[in-house]
Amino acid sequence: MSAAVAVPVVLASIALVDAALAGFRAATGRNGLIRKRAYYVVAMRRGLAGGAAVLGCLALVLGAVLATAPDPGTRYTGLTQAGISMLWVIGPFAAVVVASLVGYAVLPRRPATFLILLGLGPLTLIRPWVTVAAGLTAAWTALDLPTAVCTVVAATSVLAVEPWVHRRWYAEPA
Amino acid sequence: MTTAARRVPARGPGLAGYRTRVPILEISDLIIRHDVATGASLPVRRDEVIAALRAAGDRRGARIVAGLPHRDGVLEAAAVDRLLVRTHTELQRLNEELRIAEQLAELLGPLLAAVARGGERPRVVDVGCGIGYAVRWLAAAGVLGDVDLSGVDFNPALVAEATRLADVEGLACRFVRGDAFALPGSATVYISVGVLHHLRGDALGAFFRAQADAGAQAYCHFDIAATRLAPVGAWMFHRARMREPLGRHDGVVSARRAHTDHDLMTAARSAPGLVPLLHRPTHHSNPFCASVRPLLGVRPQEVSALRAALGPAARHLVTDSRPMRRPW
Repeated sequence: MSAAVAVPVVLASIALVDAALAGFRAATGRNGLIRKRAYYVVAMRRGLAGGAAVLGCLALVLGAVLATAPDPGTRYTGLTQAGISMLWVIGPFAAVVVASLVGYAVLPRRPATFLILLGLGPLTLIRPWVTVAAGLTAAWTALDLPTAVCTVVAATSVLAVEPWVHRRWYAEPA
Repeated sequence: MTTAARRVPARGPGLAGYRTRVPILEISDLIIRHDVATGASLPVRRDEVIAALRAAGDRRGARIVAGLPHRDGVLEAAAVDRLLVRTHTELQRLNEELRIAEQLAELLGPLLAAVARGGERPRVVDVGCGIGYAVRWLAAAGVLGDVDLSGVDFNPALVAEATRLADVEGLACRFVRGDAFALPGSATVYISVGVLHHLRGDALGAFFRAQADAGAQAYCHFDIAATRLAPVGAWMFHRARMREPLGRHDGVVSARRAHTDHDLMTAARSAPGLVPLLHRPTHHSNPFCASVRPLLGVRPQEVSALRAALGPAARHLVTDSRPMRRPW
């Protein structure tokens, strides 16, 4: 698979997984029941839907940016390069998050607690900063202004999913 | 016993360095007051709470209280109740992530096996149960078998929420407002999660003596481990996982107020007839894994039965504790 296809696919996949987890986080601390798997599944679907909507909007913006470019091929190459820059920042972070989640799910309780205290908790805290850093890094290396603006818009719009899902569905306790 | 206090810069001419020790206060301890006999809410003046927090050097806490709804300077009881339910629900999410109830069950099962008498249905009472997460989890998991599960709290709003949640899921447990040690009939085992650090000074020893006086066969109390990392970890976790400013504030304060193993053991030894045992004490544990640690107590004649029931986990039981110098 060429970079022109792989980069947007990988970025979109990461954004969708992040959106599902954002939906989960948006719903946490709002339901005191013990058995709430279904509640969280719904929350993750809502996050996923929010993430898909964001990606849809971004696709329209990118389409417009490409359509208005003097040379769409060069602009697409520039966007792909910017996406690669984003991945250099987001990729390692996403890999550590996934490894922490898998470890939390499969490890015995004490090492799982260790993972939470050293992994999942701090990772949640730094996630917005990592996302913004990825957007700014891509913007810094972008070939032109429209590409730079697209990367910043993409990064910040991903961060909007969690607060939107929370305000829309989970502002009050269940 | 160490009193929860922190050093603040001494003010005024000629006073250099750090001399004055002031209490570390949790907002949730200050904004509610109940008539112990009737459970009715008593008025709490907002400016008095703010003054107490300011006197303790806690300007952030004072700002949080200043934002609470009030009428003629008296905090609105209904709004405070809703806030506490929201905060406890967020706190439950932390307990779920750290699998606190699972840890409790791992010890409570062997504890009941060691102390329960044949023919009698064991009774487990959660002291200061809040919205009853531990009791409801035990009831939902069914890991203890045929056990009478109860939760007791002084706060009627929290007890009402615990009852509502248990009813929604049809759980076999009940919640009562009042004094856990004044219930009709004695508990086989008293439990608690995150309660001990609220008990200051003589109240901590009195808490353990009350359990002995109530005829309990054992107790199992989980509380924040007073490690050097606890305040940092609490800040990070409450920041990452909780939304309520009150919860974030009190979460960090709780970690700073946590009793050391030595303080807990000293207080627990004042209860006649119950031998205190620490499980995985802080000086035996990796501090990154020790978010909470349990203190168990059993009648002297049941200690060996408890060790046998715990099996290999009994090697983590200790009866000694090291004095610890507080880093904060």
